[in-house]
Amino acid sequence: MSAPRAAVVMLAAGEGRRSGYQTNKVLLPLAGRRVFTWAVRWARELASVERTVIVIREADRDDVVAAVGREVGPPEVTIVTGGDSRHASEWEALQALAPDIEAGRVDVVVIHDAARPLAGTALFASVVDAAWEHGGALPVREQAHLTALDSGSEPPDRVVAVQTPQAFRAAPLLEAYRRAHRDGFVGTDTASCMERYTDLPVHCVEGDARNVKITFPEDLFLAERLLAKAGYDLSGTHGPDPAAAPASRRSALRHLWPGGDHP
Amino acid sequence: MSVEQASLRCESCEELTVHELHYAGRLLDAVRCTRCGRHLELSQRALLPAYVVDLEQRVVSKPGRMLRRAGADPLGFLRQLPRAVLRQPVKFLGEFRELLRR
Repeated sequence: MSAPRAAVVMLAAGEGRRSGYQTNKVLLPLAGRRVFTWAVRWARELASVERTVIVIREADRDDVVAAVGREVGPPEVTIVTGGDSRHASEWEALQALAPDIEAGRVDVVVIHDAARPLAGTALFASVVDAAWEHGGALPVREQAHLTALDSGSEPPDRVVAVQTPQAFRAAPLLEAYRRAHRDGFVGTDTASCMERYTDLPVHCVEGDARNVKITFPEDLFLAERLLAKAGYDLSGTHGPDPAAAPASRRSALRHLWPGGDHP
Repeated sequence: MSVEQASLRCESCEELTVHELHYAGRLLDAVRCTRCGRHLELSQRALLPAYVVDLEQRVVSKPGRMLRRAGADPLGFLRQLPRAVLRQPVKFLGEFRELLRR
């Protein structure tokens, strides 16, 4: 099987309420770049990535264009305006990629949440390869030590947390989203739409503990420290030492003091 | 010191709230939830070494960043270069002053 040609879709439209003066979290500064351009950089280190689509909120267009101009080199990035939901944003991106997918110039589409700046090149490579081989690929991390609260039932023996980037063969993905659009179906994530409209297996690959999603303020401190610890370089094609990341998380947050109440 | 505002999830409020983020140079120095006042900051002991590591990265990556900007817009780059060079000492003095004041 020849090497696949991939397109990366960065979902950067953000979530939640935001008034005019607030910055979208993916546009916050992080170690000298904007949060979203870190992952663009690691993805584009892969030779197989030939197209990049960034899905934005229209209000952020000027800031995104400026950040892309400053921090992302060639080849050109396609910027599209997202919809009201993650599903709608993915549909907009797939429509932008449709001519290349139909012409056979894109074999695999990788969907990534731009609020995960530490998804390294190795993780992008593993989902692209697994999607090309199996049909779809999700990075997952095992969640141990879970327990039920109140009278809830015990969680199953094996529970995983799903990360992005997630990758899928391009033609079935486009077809699934076309059918979903016709049916008015809105999936919670890419995999749910694929499961509903295709019978392609979705393969789980090992996620990366460093691949934090910027959600809480602590995540920004953590991402900054993890980047520094990695020498600001996550372009290696081999994954991290699985034992190293939890230790990094502990040490990265060791100096963070709530309320400035530190010795 | 630069300040940004963004919606992030607050552990105390348990929902998305507006946070004020303070940066020392490129480093995130402190974050405060504007609703409940929950405040996080790097300890001075951690901030200075982190700043030094970051400064080293800024110096090492500067030629590459300048080349990229020159390649993208050579005329604009040349036009802005003298002002950018003159601004550097003032910028760094401001950053050092902020770091030592904490």
